[in-house]
Amino acid sequence: MNFFRLTNPRSSRRLLARGRPPLLLLLTGWFTLVAPDLHAQQAADVVNVDKQSLEVLLERLDRLEARVRQLEADKQQSTGVHMVAASAPYHSNNFRQASVAPAFPAASLSPALISAPVPANSFMPASVAPVRPQQATVNPTPASAQTATAQQQESEQSQTENVMAERMDLSKTLLRIRGFGDVSLVGGNQQANPATNQRAQTTSFALGQLDLFTTSDISDKFKFISEIVFEAGPDKIYGVTTSPENTFSVDVERYIIQYSYNDYFNISAGRWHTGIGFYNTAYHHSTWLQTTTGRPLLFQFEDRGGPLPIHTVGVTATGLIPSGPLGLHYVAEAGNGRESRTPLISEPVQNVIDDSNHKAFNFGVFARPEKLRGLQTGFSVYHDVLSPLNSNRISETIMAMHAVVIRSRYEWLNEAMVIRHSIIGEPKVYNTPGFYSQVSRQFGSFRPYFRYQYINAARTEPIFPDIGLNEGPSAGIRFDASEFVALKFQYDYTVQRNQPNYSTLTLQIGFTF
Amino acid sequence: MGRLASLLIFVGLAALLLGAPPREGSPFTPCPGPEQTLPSQPLAIVVNRTNSVDDLSMSELRKVFLGERSHWPNGRRITLVMREPGEPERTTILRDVCQMNENEFKNHFLHGLFTGEILVSPKILATPIGVRKFVFNVPGAIGYLRLSDVDNTVKIVRVDELLPEDKGYKLHVEAARTGN
Repeated sequence: MNFFRLTNPRSSRRLLARGRPPLLLLLTGWFTLVAPDLHAQQAADVVNVDKQSLEVLLERLDRLEARVRQLEADKQQSTGVHMVAASAPYHSNNFRQASVAPAFPAASLSPALISAPVPANSFMPASVAPVRPQQATVNPTPASAQTATAQQQESEQSQTENVMAERMDLSKTLLRIRGFGDVSLVGGNQQANPATNQRAQTTSFALGQLDLFTTSDISDKFKFISEIVFEAGPDKIYGVTTSPENTFSVDVERYIIQYSYNDYFNISAGRWHTGIGFYNTAYHHSTWLQTTTGRPLLFQFEDRGGPLPIHTVGVTATGLIPSGPLGLHYVAEAGNGRESRTPLISEPVQNVIDDSNHKAFNFGVFARPEKLRGLQTGFSVYHDVLSPLNSNRISETIMAMHAVVIRSRYEWLNEAMVIRHSIIGEPKVYNTPGFYSQVSRQFGSFRPYFRYQYINAARTEPIFPDIGLNEGPSAGIRFDASEFVALKFQYDYTVQRNQPNYSTLTLQIGFTF
Repeated sequence: MGRLASLLIFVGLAALLLGAPPREGSPFTPCPGPEQTLPSQPLAIVVNRTNSVDDLSMSELRKVFLGERSHWPNGRRITLVMREPGEPERTTILRDVCQMNENEFKNHFLHGLFTGEILVSPKILATPIGVRKFVFNVPGAIGYLRLSDVDNTVKIVRVDELLPEDKGYKLHVEAARTGN
């Protein structure tokens, strides 16, 4: 018989309410006679139980604290505090029982501990709940906004601490890595050209760039991006072969620390792809992202004979321009510019030392109108002063404009630019125009495409002695064999000045991993 | 003359490709219509309770879910919460907000992260409880829940000034796909 239940005031009220006063009087009399003995017996029991319980509870508290420490350590080792909190089991109570029950058999637990409900929406890890029995008992259903606010503040603090702990944990990396690569079979009938050391084209299997793209969220505002590329030579800079064939080397193509203040202002420092036109900042070093097997000649990398300063080392600011549905964005860059000492065979990107105090500047604006999804159109102006040895300095201005439409089924890329070199102190000006236009259409897993490109540099161009005229169509088809693997087959026909035209066939598998 | 002929051929080909009608059953074709007539449940856009944003236009919502907006007006970074691929709620968001299929959505984020335009990829969570807890815990989070899964730990954002219960609300999960 439970004494406390019988003498419970609510039980007495129930008896009175049921109209049984004689029974109540009888019980009261019995209580008067027997109560002193019961009280003495109860007091003795309580003392004995408390001693045992204290020992057991202290021991179990130790185990519980150890368990909490272990869980906290496990939590920090998981993929992130966000995911831990979010991936907690559907039934918090079940989680708590599963983790605590082995150390705390339900039969031996204090009622206050085992009956303390953990609200279903509690953000607090269920395994920690038992160390706060008072909170759980006093307020088992934190439905009020005040309680929720308090819990949220605590949660945010806990989250911040955990994120900080995660970032300070040197035993694990904060890097995320994605790779891109391609392998090609290339053949063609390009003939040898002794003037440019161009050998006759052979049919070859060719390893493309192995691109390791890494990012890291250093903090909420700072982010790191890099692109490390392993590529085989030879490097060809302004028509001059500068590295041995078939030998792999490593290039750090992008190396950016970025601070994001808001959508209107992001500033970055390091080495990046110059914001000239569209293509250069859209596809970087990944062939898998590109529809075609390679970049247009205009946007070829510097060490593959391209005419543009594809990479810049310096600082760049990007962001939105408040413009409503017009969706205007800006790009403003200042950097070392391209290497301009003659002979132009050294590294074209001035990673560490600029050959002059003058800096290159680039400014661009582009629009992504809301009404025309997929459309981007804009322009950019790049200016630098090149300082060749034993020659007058050369002012370089690159004006580019683009209009592209990229939607799921089709894309249409159009870019045109003029590279203007004027020798300072002389009236000579060299304009090198170029453009390309590319169109493709998706049919299931297949995407046929067509591109026409053109660039025409004067024979006496002081910076591009090798480019001359290059133009011609390319046609091909891309087949997405799986989510992250694409097969491409492309035919190129190239027309050059004072040289035989030639064709090239390329079969390529591009992938990301 | 030869160049002009090439350009004309190119323009003609472009017009032909761009003007062709979409093929039925293409993987890039939006989900078929008949299922949209089945009973549905409103899908609520939820944010952290401390978020001062109460209303988003569908256009703004699209930019948020595509990572084209990375910060809230108070400067806090937006953390996007998505359900796992194949979940009806995710399908609704991809179809009605992003107007993309699963592959396009993945490629969009892969491309955006690669170019640096998108700061963080979405957090993928398995259950509505998980979404609720995450949004509750992370001040900059935004996610989506069936209206029946929403409680007072998160805040519902109006979409085009409409709440999920309002007539004309655009986001609905098809009940037929839930298995309920």
